[in-house]
Amino acid sequence: MISFDFDYYKPDSIDEAVTLFRSLSSMGKKPMYYAGGTEIITLGRLNLLYTNAVIDLKGISECNILAHNSDTLTIGASLTLAQLGMNHYFPLLANISKEIADHTSRLKITVGGNICGNIFYREAVLPFLLTDSQVLIAGKNGLQKNPINNVFCKTMQLENGEFIVQLQTQSKYIESPFVSIKRRQQWNVGYPLITVNSIKVENQIRVAIAGLCPFPFRSLKMESMLNRKELSTEEKVELAIQHLPQPILNDVEGSDEYRIFVLKNTLLDVVETLEGAGA
Amino acid sequence: METIGKSIIRKEALDKVTGKAKYTGDYQSSSMLHAKMVISPYAHAKIKSINIQNAWKVQGVRGIVTGQQVPLVGEAIQDRPILAQDKVRYHGEPLAVVVADDPILAKRAADLIAIDYELLPVVNSPSEAIKPDTILVHEHLDCYKRAKHITPIPGTNIASRFKIRKGNMDKGWRESNVIVEDSYSFTPSDHAAIETRCSIVEIRSDESIIVSSSSQAPYMIKQLMSMYFGIDMGKVIVNTPLVGGGYGGKAAVQLELIAYLASKAVGGRKVKLENTREEDIITSPCHIGLDAKVKLGCSKDGFIKAAEILYLFDGGAYSDKGIDLSRAAAVDCTGPYHIENIWCDSFCMYTNHPYASPYRGFSHSELLFAFERTVDLLAEKLQMDPFELRYKNAILPGHTTPTQTKLNHSNIGNLRACIDRAKELSNWDEGQMVEVDKRFVRVKGASCIWKTSTIPSNASSGVIITFNKDGTLNLMSGVVEIGTGTKTILAQILAEYLKMNVDHIFVRMDVDTQTTPEHWKTVGSRGTFMAGRAVLEAADDTILQLKSVASCVLRTSIDDLIVANSRVFLRDDPTVGLGFEELAYGYTFENGNSIGGQIIGRGNYILRNITPLNPETGAGNPGPEWTVGAQVVEVEYDRRDYTYKLIKATSVIDIGKVLNEKAARGQVTGAMSMGLGFAARETFRLDQLGRVLNHQLRTYRPIHFGEHPEYAVGFIETPQLDAPYGARGVGEHGILGMPAALGNCLSLASGVSLHQLPLTPELIWREREGKSDLI
Repeated sequence: MISFDFDYYKPDSIDEAVTLFRSLSSMGKKPMYYAGGTEIITLGRLNLLYTNAVIDLKGISECNILAHNSDTLTIGASLTLAQLGMNHYFPLLANISKEIADHTSRLKITVGGNICGNIFYREAVLPFLLTDSQVLIAGKNGLQKNPINNVFCKTMQLENGEFIVQLQTQSKYIESPFVSIKRRQQWNVGYPLITVNSIKVENQIRVAIAGLCPFPFRSLKMESMLNRKELSTEEKVELAIQHLPQPILNDVEGSDEYRIFVLKNTLLDVVETLEGAGA
Repeated sequence: METIGKSIIRKEALDKVTGKAKYTGDYQSSSMLHAKMVISPYAHAKIKSINIQNAWKVQGVRGIVTGQQVPLVGEAIQDRPILAQDKVRYHGEPLAVVVADDPILAKRAADLIAIDYELLPVVNSPSEAIKPDTILVHEHLDCYKRAKHITPIPGTNIASRFKIRKGNMDKGWRESNVIVEDSYSFTPSDHAAIETRCSIVEIRSDESIIVSSSSQAPYMIKQLMSMYFGIDMGKVIVNTPLVGGGYGGKAAVQLELIAYLASKAVGGRKVKLENTREEDIITSPCHIGLDAKVKLGCSKDGFIKAAEILYLFDGGAYSDKGIDLSRAAAVDCTGPYHIENIWCDSFCMYTNHPYASPYRGFSHSELLFAFERTVDLLAEKLQMDPFELRYKNAILPGHTTPTQTKLNHSNIGNLRACIDRAKELSNWDEGQMVEVDKRFVRVKGASCIWKTSTIPSNASSGVIITFNKDGTLNLMSGVVEIGTGTKTILAQILAEYLKMNVDHIFVRMDVDTQTTPEHWKTVGSRGTFMAGRAVLEAADDTILQLKSVASCVLRTSIDDLIVANSRVFLRDDPTVGLGFEELAYGYTFENGNSIGGQIIGRGNYILRNITPLNPETGAGNPGPEWTVGAQVVEVEYDRRDYTYKLIKATSVIDIGKVLNEKAARGQVTGAMSMGLGFAARETFRLDQLGRVLNHQLRTYRPIHFGEHPEYAVGFIETPQLDAPYGARGVGEHGILGMPAALGNCLSLASGVSLHQLPLTPELIWREREGKSDLI
C-alpha cells in the first residue's frame, strides 16, 4: 500500500514523454518514469521512494520493439524480463532474465527498469556491457545513441528527464560462447550472492559481475588478467581478483570474504568452460 | 474400517482450491475503520517524546492511541504493554496506533507520528542476557503480575528457569567411558504463514466486544480480553474464519488487544488491523532462538549414562509463551532415549529481540538440534553407526522420561520399529557417504524425535452434534481449521463410529466462541486427540437418544437396537427399523402424536492425570503420550564450493493409527519442508543494535518450489489406547528432527562439526576456513 497520491500519465510518443517530464518538473512536481512499476510499489510502500507523477513508458511503440535484422538485435526498454526470458535471439540475456526475481515479478519488470533500478543488482545490464551494446536515450536534445560502456558506470548515467528507449546489440557478439552463473546464499531463490556473466569474443574472455559490489560492473583489468595465456587458470583467477572494484558487499546475503571465495570458484568455472569453447 | 484410514478429501477443499475460502483479512464492510501501527525502528531505546500533532492533521483520521495508560499483558507474566510505554524493547515493537477512514489515510498519518528516542545498549543473545551485571531488559520484574509457579528472577534477565534432576549425575559420569560436550546456537526466526495476522474488533453499546481474528486460540482471546479489560466473559465474542497457516504463531494474543484499543478510541466502531509482512515478521511474535550446551557420557559399548544440558532460550523482549516453550524443552530435554541420570536447566531469557510464540514442534526441533547433534558426536567418538547408537538407547515401555514419567505400551510409540523402517526407506545400509566423483558426495544424516504436548492439565474440548430433518448431521467443534484438515478427520471419526456415510456429516468450519463449544486451543497436535474423544462421547450420547426414541416406536429394549447407515434397527432383523430422518426431530405416530423431539448430542474431553512439575526435580506427568519417530536427510554435497542440494528427506513416525492417509502424509511432508527451511535458510539476521535486517520475504526466504527434495513418509501404528482409534498427534512431528538430521549430514559431509543454524554454505565455509588444516 502506497500512502502518497500521484498522477498517472501514459504518453504515446517519446516527445510527449520528454515534454511531459519537463513540464511537470517545472510545475514543481517530482515526476518519475514508470515501466514495470515493481520498485515504485515495493519501495514506495516503505517510503523509500517518492513521486507525485508517474509517466508510463509502455505506451511508446519504440520502447516495445523487438527487432532482429542481419547484424543487429534491437530490444525495446519496456519489454519485460519474462518476454526476454523466452527470447531465443539473445541466449545470454534470456538466461539471466529468467533468474531475476520470480515469475510473477518478471511479468512486470522491464529490461530498462531493471538497468535503471534502485535495487543495485541490475543484472540485466551484464549481457549488454559484455556485448558493447548501444543504448538509445531520449532526452531534451532528442534521441542519442551511446555505447553502454560509456554511459553505464555503476548506474545508468542519465540526466534528469532522460530515459532508455532501446538497446541494440550486434549479432556477432550475441552468437559468442557464453557462461552465466548465479550463486545465491542458499539454493535457487533470492538475490544473487554473485552473478557472473561471461562471453568469449575473438578468443578473449569478457566478464561482468553483479552482486559482488553494490553495483554491477565489467572490468577490463580483470579481463586482461583472465586472458593471460601464459598463466594457469588458478593464477589468472588469483590475479583477476586483485583488481576488484571496491567496496565488496558485506550484508545479509553473505560476508565480503565469503563472496570472494565464491567468486574465485565461479571464475575458475567460467575460464575453464570458455577456454575450451570456440570463437 | 469403512472411513478411518481413507484419504477423505477435506471438507473445505473446494473453497480453498477455487479461491473462495475467506480469511479474516478478506472481510470488508463500508462501516469499517482501519488501523495502522507505528513500530519501533530500534531494539532498545527510551521513548523521549511522541508527537502526534501532524498525524491528526490528515483528513479522515478518527483516533490515535499511544502507550499511556494501557494495561500490561502476557500469558505467564504480565510484562508487556499493549503499546510500548517509556521504552521500546525490540525492533518492531508497536508504539502507537492510528485509526482512519481507510488504510491509506491511516498509514499516511502513522508515517507522520514523530518519535524521539534515546538509544540504550542492547541484550543481543540469551548468553549475553544471563551474564552477571548485564543490561536489564526489564528493570522491575518483581512488580509484574504472574501465573502461579512462574518465578522470574528480579535484577536479572531470567524470565523462568525449569530444572530436571533425575538419577545421580556422579554415578552417571563414573559409568561413562566416553564423554562429549558441545555448544549450539541459532537466532530467532519466523513462521512465515501465507496469511499475515489480522484482527477486526468492534465494541457494541452494551460493551460486548465482537472480535474476528486469524487465531488458533479464540477461547484464549475471550478469556484474556475479559481479564485484561475487566469485561464480562460472556460479552467477549470471538469469531475465527479459516486460518491461512498457524504453526503456533497465531496462538499468541496480540493484535486483538491493539485493535480493541483502536476501536475504543473511535467509540467502539469496527476497526480492522492487518499486519504487513514486515510487521508479521517482527512486530508479532516469532520463532524462538536458542543457545545450548549438551554434555553426554556413555559406556564403551554405547549405552548413554549421563546427560547434562543447558538450554538458554531467546524469549525476546516479553516472556508470553517463551516460558512454556522453555518448560516443554525441559520436559523432553534429551530426545527419545533411556537415560537414568539427567541434569537440565532450561531458561527463558529476556533479550532485545522480537518475542517468541509457539512454533510448530513447541521447542522440540530446537532442543533436538542441540541434543541429536551431540548424539552424533558420541557415535563418531564410539565409531558406531548413528542409528545403531540410537537403537541401543531407544526409550521403551518400562523406562522413565526426564520428568520420571513411567512409560507403558500405550503412552509411548515404538522407536525401534521407526528406526528400522527409516533405514529401509532411506536406503541407510548403502552407507552414510557415497562418492559420486572427486568433487561430489552423497551423504545421509539421521535424527530421532519425540514429543509430548505439555498443555494445561485442565484443558478440554467440547463437541455438539445436531441433525438436519433429512437425517444428516452437523458437527460443531471449537477446533480452528488452520489447514491441517482436523475438522474433516473429526467427521471421519464420527462417521466411523456411527457406521454412516461421511458425506452425510456437515462440519461447521468457522468458530464462534458464543455458540461453538470450547476447544482449548488449536495447538500442540491435540485437535484430533481431544476433539476426537469429545466426538466419540457426543456420538454415544446421540446413539443413546436415537435408540431411546426408536425403542418406544419399535417396542423393544434399546439393547436390541443397532445404529448404522443412518438407521436404527433390530439387531436380528435389520429390515425392522427407522431412519435418522424419522427420529431426529421427534417421531410422529399415525394419529399425529409425537415423541422425542430434537436430538442434540454432546461430548466433552478433559485431559486426565496431568500434574505440575516438581520445581526442584521436574518430576511429574507432563502430557498424555509421546509420539516418536526417526528421520533421515540426504544431500549431494559439493566438496569444492561447500554447497549442497537436498536429495531426500525421510520420516517414519509412530502415529498410532493412520486416520486419513493423505492428510497424514501431507502433515508430515509439510512439516519436513518447513523444518528444512528453518534448518538451511530461515533466520533473523541481526545487527549489533539488535535490529532484524531481513524482515521481508525478499530476504527472509522459506523453502520454495524447485528446492524440495524427494519426501518419503512411513508410519508405524502402535495404538495409544485412550485416543480415538489409537491415533497419536502428527501435526508437528515431521519438523522435529530436520535441523538435527541436516546438521549431522553436513557435519559428516564437510568434515567439520556444525553447531549453528541455518546450515548455509557460508557457515560450512567459515568453519572449514577456521580449520584450514583439513582438506
